[in-house]
Amino acid sequence: MPEAPRRIALITGGSKGIGAAIATTLAQSGFDIWLNYRSDHQAAEQVRALVEQAGATCLLLPFDVADFAACEEALKPHLENDVPFAVINNAGFAKDTLLALMSQKEWNDVISVHLGGFFNVTRQVIPLMLRKRCGRVVNIVSTSGQTGVGGQTNYSAAKAGMIGATRSLAMEVAKRKILVNAVAPGFIETEMTDELPLERILPMIPLGRIGTAQEVADMVDFLCSDKAQYITGQVFSVNGGACMP
Amino acid sequence: MTEQEIITTVNTALAEEFELDLDEMTPDVSLYEDLGLDSLDTVDMVIVLEGAFNFKIREEADVKEIRTLGDIHAFVAKKLAAES
Repeated sequence: MPEAPRRIALITGGSKGIGAAIATTLAQSGFDIWLNYRSDHQAAEQVRALVEQAGATCLLLPFDVADFAACEEALKPHLENDVPFAVINNAGFAKDTLLALMSQKEWNDVISVHLGGFFNVTRQVIPLMLRKRCGRVVNIVSTSGQTGVGGQTNYSAAKAGMIGATRSLAMEVAKRKILVNAVAPGFIETEMTDELPLERILPMIPLGRIGTAQEVADMVDFLCSDKAQYITGQVFSVNGGACMP
Repeated sequence: MTEQEIITTVNTALAEEFELDLDEMTPDVSLYEDLGLDSLDTVDMVIVLEGAFNFKIREEADVKEIRTLGDIHAFVAKKLAAES
């Protein structure tokens, strides 16, 4: 019997942290990887090595998800030949500050990478996924999108927006067996939480520790697997109990 | 491309995509009420037309106004005329 063609997963913001863990985990589950990142070529090459070690191919796609034209230009040539089975919208960054002191740029930049990036990337792939009659979209959101976190009005707004988009898109495309879900990490050991004071954070987490990128990647891996075929429009928290919405 | 060529190309492409009977594909046929397409099928229709005519119409507002096969023929004719 001929082997089934390998599925492709497109991961945005995949050169480090949670994105990198998702890429290597999905590679271990048999996906070939399209790895988007903005500019850290060296980190992306390291992820590529890990993906290839897992026996998968890894296409590096450096572009800024906040830029619609850049997304289109980078993805179009590849989409003519292949359609990813899974799109993981993970690219993001925080610019925490009190709203009273927030610049317009700090607001706009955070919204355009998370919420804009979700649209700019998903918009390229979804029409083709619809024709395939299968696919997964997993949006990486945050505890901040589920509950109030002072100092993160921009980030919270972006992530809550992505949760809304997750649900509506899930409604739109369910008929074509495309499943759309969100994963909401809490405090995870990455660059983003490097600077945070652990002694103040730990008391807020019932499980008493911060999480690993691998623990988030494992949830994404499940949602992209054949075991998750009856799940769509949901938000899955991976947060040690820090928020129970 | 003549009007008749446009009609033939559109009808052939859609018949193949949606498994329609070419004999039933008259210009006044409604895509939604008569042919039973839904809004997601419109996305497929756009991609099929883009492939058949080698143009890009995904973001054109007029696509959303299409109701009948005749509307598609007119839309394609207008688009091709604008491009030439």
